[in-house]
Formats: sequence, C-alpha cells, structure tokens
Amino acid sequence: MEYLIHLSILFSIYAILGVSLNLVIGYAGLLSVTHAAFYGIGAYTTAIFLTKSNIGFFSSLILGIAIAVVISLLIGIILSKFKGDYYALGTFGFNAIIFAIFLNWQNMTRGSLGIPGISRPELFDIDFENNLNFLILAVILLILIYFSSRFVINSSFGRVLKAIREDETAIAVFGYNTLYFKLLIFIISAAMAAVAGSLYASYITFIDPSSFQLTESMFILTIIILGGLANLRGSILGALFLILLPEILRFVGFPSDIEAQMRQMVYGIVLIILMLYRPQGFIGEYKL
Amino acid sequence: MDILPQLILNSIIAGAIYTLVALGFNFIYGATKFFNLAHGIMAAIGGYAVFYFTKTVGLNMYVAIILGIALAGLVGFGLDKFIYLPLRKRKASNMVLLVASLGAMTAMQALIAILFSSRFKTLTENVGTQKLFTIFGGIITQTQLIILLSAAVIMASLVVMLYKTQFGKSVRAISDDEEVARIVGIHTNKIIGTVFFIGSAITGFTGILIGFDVGIEPTMGLNLLLKGVIASIIGGVGNIYGGVLGAFLLGFLENFGIWKLSGEWKDAIAFALLIVFLIFRPRGIINK
Repeated sequence: MEYLIHLSILFSIYAILGVSLNLVIGYAGLLSVTHAAFYGIGAYTTAIFLTKSNIGFFSSLILGIAIAVVISLLIGIILSKFKGDYYALGTFGFNAIIFAIFLNWQNMTRGSLGIPGISRPELFDIDFENNLNFLILAVILLILIYFSSRFVINSSFGRVLKAIREDETAIAVFGYNTLYFKLLIFIISAAMAAVAGSLYASYITFIDPSSFQLTESMFILTIIILGGLANLRGSILGALFLILLPEILRFVGFPSDIEAQMRQMVYGIVLIILMLYRPQGFIGEYKL
Repeated sequence: MDILPQLILNSIIAGAIYTLVALGFNFIYGATKFFNLAHGIMAAIGGYAVFYFTKTVGLNMYVAIILGIALAGLVGFGLDKFIYLPLRKRKASNMVLLVASLGAMTAMQALIAILFSSRFKTLTENVGTQKLFTIFGGIITQTQLIILLSAAVIMASLVVMLYKTQFGKSVRAISDDEEVARIVGIHTNKIIGTVFFIGSAITGFTGILIGFDVGIEPTMGLNLLLKGVIASIIGGVGNIYGGVLGAFLLGFLENFGIWKLSGEWKDAIAFALLIVFLIFRPRGIINK
C-alpha cells in the first residue's frame, strides 16, 4: 500500500511536469528541453528555504514560482530569437547552464553533496509526514494545474498559440505579437514546473543536482510525446505509463544499478518506436 | 612553473578532440540537415569495443582498434538504415528525427552501461608509463600527440575526399539539394548511408583515442556530442573548416575559462558560448 502511495505521488509530480511542458511543446510548438531546470529551481528554492529559514513549505512554493518566473522570462526572451531545432539546442544549453549553477553554487546548493533534511509541509494540523496526506496535497496541486492549463488553452490566448504553432507568419500578419504569446506560455509552464519541484524536494526530503540534468528534461519530453502532444489528458496518461512501466522491471529482480539503466533503455526505445510508427503518441493532436 | 604554455597546449588538445567530433558531425549534418544526437555515442561504442576486444577477448591492440572503428561505423550505418532512412522517406520533420536520435542515444548509452557497468575505465595498460614530450615548457603525452596528428590527417583526408573524388561530389550535391541530386541520378540513400558510416567511424576513433588518453565511461558520448555540436555551430554548421575553427575556439575558451573558475563550469562556459553565437551570429563564424 505504502508502495502504491509512493508511486502515486511520483506520478502526480511527473503529471504536473508533463502537463506544463505540453503547453509549450504541444500547443506553442516550441521543442523545449529545459524543463528540468525550472523543476530544479522549484526544488532548490523549497530545499534552501526549508532548511535555512522557517518560512514554511507554502511560502517557499510561492517563492520558487516567483524565481522560476523571473528566470524563465530572461531565458524566454533569448529563446524567442530561435526556431525549430535551433530552439531545441538553445534549451539544451540553458538546462546545462542551470545544472552547472546547481552544481557550483556551493554555499547555497552544497554542490554535488545535495541538500538533506528538507522538511515536509505544515498546514493547520494535517500531518504531511503521512504519505497519504502528502499524496492528497500532490493530487490537489495536479488538479489545480490541470484545470488552469485547460483554461489557458481553451481561452482565446490558447487559440492564438495553436495558430502560432501552425503558421507564425500568418498570425503575425493579423497583428498579433507572437513574441508576447510565446513568452507568456513559456513562463506559465516554468512556474508550473517549479511547483512540481517544490513537491519533489519536500517529498523525498533530499535533493542533489543529478535529478535536474538534461536527461530528466528528456524523460519529461518522452512522457508528453508518448501521451500525445497538444492533449493534456495524454500527458497524464504518458506519466502514468512511464512511471508504471519500469516497475515491471523491478519485479523481474535486476540489481538496482542495472534496473535504472534498463529504465533508460526502455525510454529510449519507446521514443524511437513512437517516432517511427506513431509520432502523435497515444492520443496526440499535433505531430512534431 | 609557468602555467601559460601548458594551458595553451591543453587548449590545442581539447580543440583537436572537438575537431574530430565536429568533423564527423558536420559531415553527416551536411548531407542530412538534422541534429543527430546519437552521433556522440559512437565514441563510447568505439572505446568500449576496444576495451572488450583487448581485455576480454585478448586481441592485439591494433586489431581491436580497427574493429572498434568498424563497429562504430556499422552502428551509425545501421541507425540510418533502420531509423533515419524510413523517417526521411516519410518526409518527417527535423524535430522528429532529432527526437528519434535522442531515443537512440539514450537506449545505446544505457545498453553500454548494462554490459560494462557505468564505472570509469581506461584503455591503457599501465597508467603513468606513457612517453612524455616537452614543447615550449608544456608537457604532452604520446597519446595526445597522436590525437593532434589524427585530427590533422583526418581533416585533410576528408577535404580531399569531398573535393577530389566522385563520392565527394555526390555528397556535396546532396548537401546542396537532395531532391535535385536524386533527379540527376545520384543514389542519395546509398551515399547518405556511406556518409553515416564514415562520420560515425571518425567519432568511434575519437572515442578510442580518448579512452587511451583519459578513459571511457558510458556517458562520454553525450558530452562529446554537445561539444562537437557547439563547435560546429559557432564555426558554421555543415562547413568542415568552420567546425575546426569552432572546435579550437571552444577548446581555448574552456581551458582559459577554468583557469579562473572551477573545472565544473566547463560545460556552462561552452553552452554560454553557444547561446551567444545563436543570438548574434546563428550561422557561425564562416557564413555560408
């Protein structure tokens, strides 16, 4: 039971990451591979404030979002100059740079040693040391993010995004400032990733830079491509599938080192097969 | 001890290694026009093949090196034949190819880690017995000297091949416009297959050299690839000379950068350079 709750919490965190990344890749058509950086910003903000001050989880969550917004604004402005695969390459770069900051800003992040002893949230008298209560919190945040994402894409703002994805020049001719739209969705997505990061830090109670590498961004990318681009339910499905699939490997009984590598191999093969036979994923509405 | 000559020498060696990766990458990019992220893994394949053939099978070192180069080339050829070629025939976008190559990279890297464990390994028999040479007060090992020579020889042969042979003419024709090349009767798919073989073999050889110089680990591919891509882009992507120029610029900047900063900033410096170039000079130094 405890194990199922653990998987469900992980699923909620990755579903948040998937839904938020889908806004940028699926709806705006921008192949961003830097999501783990914002995920990490959320996680580190929570970790640092929970271990060095007593402002509490929820304030640190808000601070994490705020920092992610500022950084994503700066990164987004630079990225707005790029298109297609150059855009993807630029996001690679930012992920690597932010990872290097996590690794090297020793007095804040403790570098590769990581930050241990992060506390669980405190709210009224609810005991979040209990994983079931934590799961409820994670699911509530997931639902909040899912519905706000749905609100965004169903609004006129979301329709303009899809139009940008299909033909940016055409929509620009109609007088829309496409830069503003692309920037805003990038920031919204980054803020949501920071929420997932705060949850992760507080749940695992220990973080180190290795969780926020380029490979993590690629994993989130696999989730949304598998589930389907431009379909929010798809991202949830993708997260569910990719969190559960490797658990089968655990029951086969490989040593943990090999199991982690097997997992990576499964992700890689899933990506190749998808690109070859079903580039729209399970229920996607847009192909790269 | 004066540090400057050593710094310059280190920069040149790094530049030569990046040159080798960028040469292979650029060669393939010129013909296919997509970012083949699985290119770097060929270095790991070459390195581990030599490790396997010398330490486990017990073959002669030179035979093992030739087998390693051939194996890397064959894997590259196979990737094209079974993944990229079907995708190209379906007129898949560059981003689909990029994601497929990402999957291939992840899967192969994990496979190598499963077969050989992810621990760091070295190819040299007795570390520390390498011949050392002193040039202008800086020290260089025998392997590093071979790296420098190889970079020069391979670059020269590639240029001769591209500009003096029938095969090279076909490659350049495909690079200009694949469709037209096909119409005038060039077997484009066959040529691109050969290009993949050669490009991958060069990177496989690079991996072997690195294995003798420092050592091999499964993740060496991604890091090398990113450096190769950065070198190609800042030099002028798809341009052989540009790649070389970019590689040496990168090598110097990285090594002089970590003179003042800690070594872990190396990657961040490389990516910062990439982003600066993407913003101000996206076509690279040598503008085509």
